[in-house]
Amino acid sequence: MENHVELENVSKFYGQGRRLHALHEVSFGVGEGEFVSIVGPSGCGKSTLLKIIAGLDKPTSGEVKFRGGPICGPHSKISLVFQAFGLFPWRTVLDNVEYGLEMQGVPKQERRRQARDYLEMVGLAGYEQMYPKQLSGGMRQRVGIARALAVEPEVVLMDEAFSAIDEITAEVLRDEVTEIHKQTGKTFVLVTHNLSEAIELADKVVVLSSRPAKVKKIMPISLDRPRDRTHTLFVHMHRDILHLLKEELENTFIRHKLKEISELQSIHDMEANGATDNKPQAKRAQVTA
Amino acid sequence: MSVEKQKALTLSLTRGFFTGERFGNYLWCFPLLLGFAAWEVVTRAGLVPSSRLPTFSSVLVVFFASIQNESFLLRIGHSFLNLICGLFLAFSVALPLAFVAGSRNKFDLTLTPIIMLFGALPDLSFLPLLVLWFGPGNAAAVIMASLAGFFPIYFTVRQGTKNIPRELFDVTAIFKSDRFSTFTKMVLPAISPHLFSGLRLAYDFAWEIIIAIEIATRVAGIGSFIDGNVTSGSLQSGFAAILAIAIVAIVVDRAFFGSLESWTRKWA
Repeated sequence: MENHVELENVSKFYGQGRRLHALHEVSFGVGEGEFVSIVGPSGCGKSTLLKIIAGLDKPTSGEVKFRGGPICGPHSKISLVFQAFGLFPWRTVLDNVEYGLEMQGVPKQERRRQARDYLEMVGLAGYEQMYPKQLSGGMRQRVGIARALAVEPEVVLMDEAFSAIDEITAEVLRDEVTEIHKQTGKTFVLVTHNLSEAIELADKVVVLSSRPAKVKKIMPISLDRPRDRTHTLFVHMHRDILHLLKEELENTFIRHKLKEISELQSIHDMEANGATDNKPQAKRAQVTA
Repeated sequence: MSVEKQKALTLSLTRGFFTGERFGNYLWCFPLLLGFAAWEVVTRAGLVPSSRLPTFSSVLVVFFASIQNESFLLRIGHSFLNLICGLFLAFSVALPLAFVAGSRNKFDLTLTPIIMLFGALPDLSFLPLLVLWFGPGNAAAVIMASLAGFFPIYFTVRQGTKNIPRELFDVTAIFKSDRFSTFTKMVLPAISPHLFSGLRLAYDFAWEIIIAIEIATRVAGIGSFIDGNVTSGSLQSGFAAILAIAIVAIVVDRAFFGSLESWTRKWA
């Protein structure tokens, strides 16, 4: 199967002199209609990766391909569901869902109709004229999902889409997203720090390492849907990924300690070589602090 | 559920500008009327000489006569026009500058300290210079009003722009909004609560400045009318003019800014 979205050696550096290395040669493919979850230790650059796929950010090197062509900037067939919903508070629910279509220049009647269809799909028929502040978090995210779907994308990206919602509502919403995935056959990419969520929704889970993030492992999930979190395979899968992530965190810790030790060592060497200026002391104080 | 919410929505929409939460109730009328009554009693009883304070009733008589007088109304119109021109000037300069300062940190660091420096100076200290350059006329009044209105608009819009969540810019990018739509459909509504309070402050400041300039430079307008009448001893006309300005200022404040704010209150 030809990949719908393809990441080829995506690297990303930030900051002055490219000091912060966020992503290191990340490569994986997302097949058409596939649901991929990306997990990783916190702060590893998962969201940066998603932003790059969305075209909101550019990789320092490497490439993201959509249907074989490189992505440079947001693509009309790739849509995004935001962590904090990203709704415009001054727009009603209906106007929010229409926003993407409005930007595409779809005539008013047509976009109204389309927006209503998607509101119905996410179970918000009857809430068209309300403002986001009148809705609960779960309902706001439904609006966010409807808005993302209304532009009829081929790929739906979700950036921690369930993390700002209470757990029970999130559970219901995950079931609905599974259903939407099944119905529409669209490609989904979800970034999350919730392992159960990642396994429950995905056809495959991409596990990233700590910064700079590399692909640590890609785990296909072949459990039948709807998935039971207490199923033995589910539990094993969860345990394995958790193990990988813990290992990563420990590695980071050890790396950090090793760096400290080597710095102390070099200071010690400098002092032993008779360096008389007081810089080494200052540096030692800095390191030990 | 939705029917109820609909009702609540219509209710909040039909809340006119002299009802509902803005005035809450009419309790505020009582202390006001009490004040006028006390004024009347004190002056009638001769506790205050009429050369210092005329009776309230005589002020009202002159007021109602004045508002049928064309030249009196023209003077109010004149002051109001200067004020509006000044505010428009302030708005059209402050809004783009504040927007850029709010979104570009380097620009903010370059410009805002200078603006703060000027803002710290009393506006009226520039007046003699403006009169020197432009003469004691409308130009000086308009520029002074715009100077007074500039700072509140600049600082509120700048803050409002800084407060726009980063995510909303990503939303406009994801849905491929062009620069113009991003400004009109995202930035402007997002900063509107800040902008409206800035405009309201600017409006209040500008009124004060306009009256002060008219008194100081004798530019035709309601301020010089008050000054002229009070110094020539016709206090009733002076008070009538003050009353007229108060009514214009309050009605515009409630009607214009009130309705803008009731829009933002629906969603903010």
